[in-house]
Amino acid sequence: MAALGRFSRRALATALASKHHLSTEVAKAITPSRDRVNWDYRGQRKIIPLGQWNPKVAVDAYVAPNVVLAGQVTVYDGASVWPGCVLRGDLNKITVGFCSNVQERCVVHAAWSSPTGLPAESLIERYVTIGAYSLLRSCTIEPECIIGQHSILMEGSLVETHSILEAGSVVPPGRRIPSGELWAGNPARFVRTLTHEETLEIPKLAVAINDLSKEHFSEFLPYSTVYLEVEKFKQSLGISI
Amino acid sequence: MGTLGRAFYSVGFWIRETGQALDRLGSRLQGNYYFQEQLSRHRTLMNVFDKAPVVDKEAFVAPNASVIGDVQVGRGSSIWYGCVLRGDANSVNIGCGTNIQDNSLVHVAKSNLSGKVLPTIIGDNVTVGHSAVLHGCTVEDEAFIGMGATLLDGVYVEKHAMVAAGALVRQNTKIPYGEVWGGNPARFLRKLTENEMAFFAQSALNYTKLAQAHAAEHAKPLDATEFEKVVRKKFARRDEEYDSVLGDVRETQAELPLPKAS
Repeated sequence: MAALGRFSRRALATALASKHHLSTEVAKAITPSRDRVNWDYRGQRKIIPLGQWNPKVAVDAYVAPNVVLAGQVTVYDGASVWPGCVLRGDLNKITVGFCSNVQERCVVHAAWSSPTGLPAESLIERYVTIGAYSLLRSCTIEPECIIGQHSILMEGSLVETHSILEAGSVVPPGRRIPSGELWAGNPARFVRTLTHEETLEIPKLAVAINDLSKEHFSEFLPYSTVYLEVEKFKQSLGISI
Repeated sequence: MGTLGRAFYSVGFWIRETGQALDRLGSRLQGNYYFQEQLSRHRTLMNVFDKAPVVDKEAFVAPNASVIGDVQVGRGSSIWYGCVLRGDANSVNIGCGTNIQDNSLVHVAKSNLSGKVLPTIIGDNVTVGHSAVLHGCTVEDEAFIGMGATLLDGVYVEKHAMVAAGALVRQNTKIPYGEVWGGNPARFLRKLTENEMAFFAQSALNYTKLAQAHAAEHAKPLDATEFEKVVRKKFARRDEEYDSVLGDVRETQAELPLPKAS
């Protein structure tokens, strides 16, 4: 009985293997790239150390599993990095400050050197909200700012405290956005100064998003339970666990 | 000692069994909102029926990039994190030494308003900045597409031309040699100097080297990465900068020579 079971399993395995052979025969006719992994079930790692640099995430920071942190990236307490972001600190440092949030699909990169001559790291200080789909390259964002969605901040930009960048604004390299002002446009131009009430709202927005990120954070178990699915896979394919 | 080892092993096994049973209990309690984790089914290189990507061995393709359909990537090129190169409707051809930076999208049109069907051809040593969107356009060698740029159907970017960041280049625009176009809609901004044009080739080369560093890191098997994690933990010291942000400023000690973990 057991032998029969083993036979059938082995037959199934060889049948699957031969079918795999068949598909690779067809694939060879179209010449796919050799030595190239087509499908890696491990997926993309979230934290990618490069050499001796290791991205550091604070314990209560929410970093979505979709995010790629590579190189010198530090995400401080209460910060959140939402799905689809890429924080690539391979040439220079990237810091996401306390209670800041980098929303969906942003790309934060740091160039090797900045046109202003200052250190070219990307520094996002505390209570900063960076709207979705923004691109930040070697810029410094001082505490309590709001960067609108789909904005592009180029090398060496400096956004001073309590300022707001409207959605879709493009800040040219080396541009300084003065404190307490609202800028918009491509290239970014001055619109008006902010009232005191609006300035008070800025950290409140960051704190609100921080609360939201806590809800998202609580959805994830400390360790993934993917091994259960792997075991099911192996069982169905007849590989011994 | 054999028996002590066996005892620890079986106790550990009981604890894990209990843990798994507790996991099942917790899942039952969660009821309708129970979430079961899945293996990542993301396929970096994906073929659409008979159109398969042909990616050179020396090219770096980030694992969460998607290279789908009829895409050819040349030697030394790099496709960075989160990119989507979709060659399902037509073909995408990327030359050597080109880099398509993070979160970009390269797509082709099967049919567009003017009726012409255009494959996307990106030449050698092109730098395509972060989050760019290239749709059915041709980019010649050593051009520079700034980050966030959107290039629509039929755009022809000539050699050594530059598309500024955030530009929206409308359909069938031709960007001549050595010029910078930008804005929404894109218009001529200025001409490039010789230094800047030489910089494009240099930047592509820099990116190729950077891609090799990333590729080396991704090629590591699980044992190597886990081992490095352990080594890092062992030789880690309290980060003065992190503590200083939290308000605890210390005198920095002399730099400890860390052993090379990689």
